[in-house]
Amino acid sequence: MYERILVPTDGSNVAEAAVDQAIDIATKYDAEVHSLFVADTDAIAYGLGTEQVDRIRQGQFQGMTELREDAEAATGYVTDAAEAAGLTGHERHAGGQPHRMIADYAEDNDIDLIVIGSHGRSGVRRALLGSVTERVLRSTTVPVLVVDYDDED
Amino acid sequence: MIDGAPMLADLAIGAMETIPLQSSEALLPEDLNVSFKLLPAIIVIGMMGLFIVAGFMFQVADTDDMWVAGRSIGNIENGMAIGANWMSAATYLGVAATVAISGVYGLAYVIGWTTGYFILLIFMAAQMRRFGKYTAPDFVGDRFNSDAARALAALTTFLIGFVYALGQARGMGLVGLYILGDWSAITGGALSAYQTMMVIFMVITVAYLSLSGMLGATKNMVLQYVILIVAFLLGLVVTGWSGGFTTVLPQLEYGMMIDTLGSEFSAPFAGGSYYLWVATCFSLVFGTCGLPHVLVRFYTVKNERVARWSCTWGLFFISLLYLSAPAFAAVGTALYGEEVGAVYGDPGMTSAAGDVLVVLAAQLAGLPSWFVGFVAAGGIAAAVATTAGLFIAASSAISHDIYANIINEDATQRQQVLVGRLSIILIGLLTIIFALNPQQPIAALVGFAFSLAAIVLFPMFFLGLWWENTNRPGALSGMTTGIIVWFIPMLNEGNFGLIDGGLAIDVISTWMPAIGSALVGTPIVFAVTIIVSLVTSEPPLETKQMVRQCHSPDPMPRDKTAADIVAEKNRDGNAPADD
Repeated sequence: MYERILVPTDGSNVAEAAVDQAIDIATKYDAEVHSLFVADTDAIAYGLGTEQVDRIRQGQFQGMTELREDAEAATGYVTDAAEAAGLTGHERHAGGQPHRMIADYAEDNDIDLIVIGSHGRSGVRRALLGSVTERVLRSTTVPVLVVDYDDED
Repeated sequence: MIDGAPMLADLAIGAMETIPLQSSEALLPEDLNVSFKLLPAIIVIGMMGLFIVAGFMFQVADTDDMWVAGRSIGNIENGMAIGANWMSAATYLGVAATVAISGVYGLAYVIGWTTGYFILLIFMAAQMRRFGKYTAPDFVGDRFNSDAARALAALTTFLIGFVYALGQARGMGLVGLYILGDWSAITGGALSAYQTMMVIFMVITVAYLSLSGMLGATKNMVLQYVILIVAFLLGLVVTGWSGGFTTVLPQLEYGMMIDTLGSEFSAPFAGGSYYLWVATCFSLVFGTCGLPHVLVRFYTVKNERVARWSCTWGLFFISLLYLSAPAFAAVGTALYGEEVGAVYGDPGMTSAAGDVLVVLAAQLAGLPSWFVGFVAAGGIAAAVATTAGLFIAASSAISHDIYANIINEDATQRQQVLVGRLSIILIGLLTIIFALNPQQPIAALVGFAFSLAAIVLFPMFFLGLWWENTNRPGALSGMTTGIIVWFIPMLNEGNFGLIDGGLAIDVISTWMPAIGSALVGTPIVFAVTIIVSLVTSEPPLETKQMVRQCHSPDPMPRDKTAADIVAEKNRDGNAPADD
């Protein structure tokens, strides 16, 4: 049923909350685990400047060591978990709008299930910060499993 | 329509330092045709629309896989992008204005702003690239292993962006008067004509920034540069020609006019003392090397060779404009003298008229309004684009360096976007408030930002890259001293109305003018940093190795920073490994 499972991750606790669930399902179906890190170009424009966005678009990612380390750590966490469970992991690093890139990746790689973490924000915080997860739901037809992250503890 | 004519008498040239906070004595360039003009308005909107459309077109959508290397940017393109980043209202309008009003003193800007690139080229461009960081505060924070140093550098970056933007806001407001006319009626008379225009264009700039991802595209910057330089050079040649002063090479021919322009224009140091000239020039040279939005272009190139050549080309493209600005000033001054009245003396040309001289000259030469509008549109586009770049540098200092690196280390990308947007709104509001009554011409306002960069950031970059023993306490005490030293002449002269009329201490205003405070300030900061570094313990070995790596004769791989190489060497050479 599920041959390829996608875990989008930004390296945060919220994203990693989804990994256990994804690995569990993948083990049952012996599925490939794909992990995708999307550098949000909006965040880079405001955080590092528009020149860095341009640099990503030119494919000069190798020179951006800190971002590269973040990306590798984020997807590496998922791959390590997958390999520990005896599964195959695939990693991909992309740049753009996260929800669009996730939806595109799912379509291009015949993903059967997306497992994604969510803050479960509501009210003002949701209005201000928005929800990548919510946008992913609206931009893809692939089934999505949303894992809420509980930051009470 | 225009009921501003009686105001003109109130604006004597000497009054520019003492304009009280009343809109009745508002900035209004005399004899500038202030009215709504359809064609020029369309040209301004079209020019800015073109930059946005070009941004969309050159945007390679999204990057599916960041490991697939794309095309790299060549030296010439990068040089033009540096030129576009650099060309602000200060360059486009302010240099000609200062030369026209203060004569030889104005050349300090031409010389300072070009010489700065030599220092950058020789001492910093390639080394910065090797260090491999994204922002100026990133460099300071990582080189001195200190979040406090990072925060100070970020604060300085924000302050530089704000002060620099004041000059741009003044330029936009004044040139906007020519294009759109007097809209003060819509504010019910609460704001003057200049203030209304300034607010309108600042709001447009902040809105423009919501498209920021597109503005930084190098191709777009190249297009901006080409349009701006064409508008300026064409404006000069056509104005000079139709005024009958010059023909095809006004940059050389204006020498013939000098005898006719009055001694204030040509006599050395008539418009400012010898000391003031040297101090201003010094501030501008070293400020150029400390400006975060200029340095950022060097972090992003492929390797240090490209960094050097881009710097060289950037200098070439910038000097095209600087070689022409004094000629524009000469032609403008001559036209003003013929059509309006005496340029010097009382009342003389006001600083407001000086700041729009580039536009005013084209108008006085009797050129059609669409052509004058084209020249004016170039000035506005230069101001908007530079302000956008400065605001992004300021927002990155807040959202990346202070928020994501110090306050909330687990910040998500969305949170950084939110903080970035809020800081842009904050700096936009600050700029609008302080630009309502700018008491100085564009070039002076921008000069303050250069003093700040030269005093606080340049010593950190220079010592940080060239003297491995510079340490954290040295950097912290140096930057703190620098910020205090920069404020002293600012308060003394009462700039920005912080203290009404200023402290007006004679010794300080003579020897440490705010516009050239780096001549005194930078050596003080160097001394403080060096002495404190010497008496405190040396920085860790890894930091020293990083500095050495920035000067190593071996070429560096493009995907490594100095820190990576040092870590590798330590691993290979002397075990035990540290990871």
